[in-house]
Amino acid sequence: MLNRRSFLTTSSLAAISLATPGLLGRASAQGAALKIGVPVPISGAFAANGKFATIGAQMAAEEVAKAHGIEVSTLDLDTEGKPATAVRKVQDALAQDGIKLFAGGILSSESLAMGKEIERGGGSFMTTAGADEITGPDCNKATFRWSVPTFGAIDQTVRPIIDALPEAKRWYTITPQYVFGDGLLNAAKAVFAEKGIEHVGNSYHSLTDKEFSGYLTNAISAQPDVLLLLNFGAQSSDTLRQAVSFGLKQRMTIVVAWASGLEQFEALGPDICEGVYFGAQYWHGADTPLNRELVARVQEKHGFNPNYSFAGSYIISKLLLDAAAKAGSAEGSAVIGQLEGLKYTGLTGEEEIRAADHQVIKDYYLLKGKAKDAMAGKDDYVDIISSGKSFLSAEQSGCKMTA
Amino acid sequence: MIYLFQILNGIGLGMLYFLLAVGLSVIFGLLQFVNFAHGAFYLLGAYLTFDLTQRGFSFWAAMPMATLIVAGIAAAIEALLLHRIYKLPHTFHILVTVGLALVIQELVIIAWGPLGGSVPAPEGLQGVVIAGDFIYPQYRLFTIGFTAVLAGLLWWLLEGTRLGAIVRGGSESPSNMALLGYNTMRINTAVFGFGAGLAGLAGALAAPIRGVEPFMGVEALSVAFVVVVIGGMGSYTGALVAGLLVGIVQSVMTTVWPEGARLMIYLGMALVIATMPRGLLGRA
Repeated sequence: MLNRRSFLTTSSLAAISLATPGLLGRASAQGAALKIGVPVPISGAFAANGKFATIGAQMAAEEVAKAHGIEVSTLDLDTEGKPATAVRKVQDALAQDGIKLFAGGILSSESLAMGKEIERGGGSFMTTAGADEITGPDCNKATFRWSVPTFGAIDQTVRPIIDALPEAKRWYTITPQYVFGDGLLNAAKAVFAEKGIEHVGNSYHSLTDKEFSGYLTNAISAQPDVLLLLNFGAQSSDTLRQAVSFGLKQRMTIVVAWASGLEQFEALGPDICEGVYFGAQYWHGADTPLNRELVARVQEKHGFNPNYSFAGSYIISKLLLDAAAKAGSAEGSAVIGQLEGLKYTGLTGEEEIRAADHQVIKDYYLLKGKAKDAMAGKDDYVDIISSGKSFLSAEQSGCKMTA
Repeated sequence: MIYLFQILNGIGLGMLYFLLAVGLSVIFGLLQFVNFAHGAFYLLGAYLTFDLTQRGFSFWAAMPMATLIVAGIAAAIEALLLHRIYKLPHTFHILVTVGLALVIQELVIIAWGPLGGSVPAPEGLQGVVIAGDFIYPQYRLFTIGFTAVLAGLLWWLLEGTRLGAIVRGGSESPSNMALLGYNTMRINTAVFGFGAGLAGLAGALAAPIRGVEPFMGVEALSVAFVVVVIGGMGSYTGALVAGLLVGIVQSVMTTVWPEGARLMIYLGMALVIATMPRGLLGRA
């Protein structure tokens, strides 16, 4: 049986043999009835997320092809995690490949930029990126978002932890300085104010930082009860790893508000994850019908458990492709019409696409790292502490959808 | 008080930056070769340490093994490929070594996958030192001491031994050294392997602090170049001074102006280029 690493090794080898990962998609896209672009970072700091996302989209394409009896193909578009590159790749896919369906955009900045471009090009786009603006003030007719935005992520992590740890009154935050980080920070400050929590300090850092010891020294000197990490991906792993090496786990509670789930836990290992709280969009152990099916299928096909990057990409690709298949067209207006107001059984349970702002209403999870000897299997890193739906109303989100 | 802590933390960072940059500086100083694959050798050193510890080797065994393997691989690459382009303009050095770095990076992904990993600090160095409000990991303290000793050894090796004199002679007057019966091609291969081995050692030492991930070499290369440019291309002492300076500035700025901490490093480099084109201690 293949494990996750060997699977990715094989797929990387195949991709390299074709010069770029995108060529594989282009090769298979010839003569397809439905094509979906997968604009995700396949190189750069967020490449691990992007590579799982392309496999998840591929699996969705295969399932939709089988269910509807049509040809479906994916086209991987390496955004490199850069908005300008993402926009250029999407423009090329719209103009040269005739693609109208796009599922991807792991970073908020690239998703915001691509959404506008895809709307101009008459397509439709679903993303897993987190910034409130995507379905808020910067919403548009073509863009849908599956992930719970920053408001809900904070509400479902910070609030239950404050309730569970009433003595922990002093919180310190470490925040990446871009739209996503500011979204999380503003939401956290609002909950702190409401709950009477003292926000004893915040350290902003750039998107390229890898060394967090200076920020951790700031945090230590502020003597908080809780250290809230508001960064994402490799940066949150680096911060957490370095925080644990500074012995902060023994001195304060550590919370990662937006973890990328299984792939992050695998990279960190159980010793670092133990006792840390993680907010997560998806967990393969969630007990819902579609998730149980997906886990079984991914185990059967790939020999590993789906992680957030895989599952998020799978579900957004599937929603778009199913909508296009039902509409009989990949044109934006037809797909949008199918998706608005759609209620369906999703990976987190009952999910709904709110027509007013194109936000999917779904659960967000609060997880807590287990001790290594308490793990039932190699992927059993965490317990689900709680889950729930927290969203601003469509009016509060600031979305003014134009037809 | 916080600034004192940040300076202490910056010294720790700076020693790591010195180790990262000194190999690059040695290669440029002795071979006049611009090595953009330096970060990739750092990456390789970190991943080999990760792999060897996963296979059950202790960190103390994995660190020298990784260093020697990286040095051996680099020496082989120099002997097979790089020595052919020494006499070409620096742009060719950059083109070839950037390509080499990309190949190494992709090979790392093929071998170990796109996900990163963690390397635990060695037994006995997993705790922290507490002094008042200041907390510092024991392993980071170890890296400061280890790198300081290594810095002294390197200086003695290059400046105070016959071997160092031969290496310096090979770089300054290869024809005279050849007349004296020395094989300058072998000297160059050894120097390149030695410089890359230092990058591998930096990667091995950094692995318990930073973990490993396939793109860590890119950031390491940029820091190494900043340190070498500020210190002076080819200057051993310059690399030490600049490494400490960059580490301290970065650390202190995380308190003064956190969002500009990284920016200040590059601004500092730009300032040095504008006012002292050869760097703080670069040779004329």
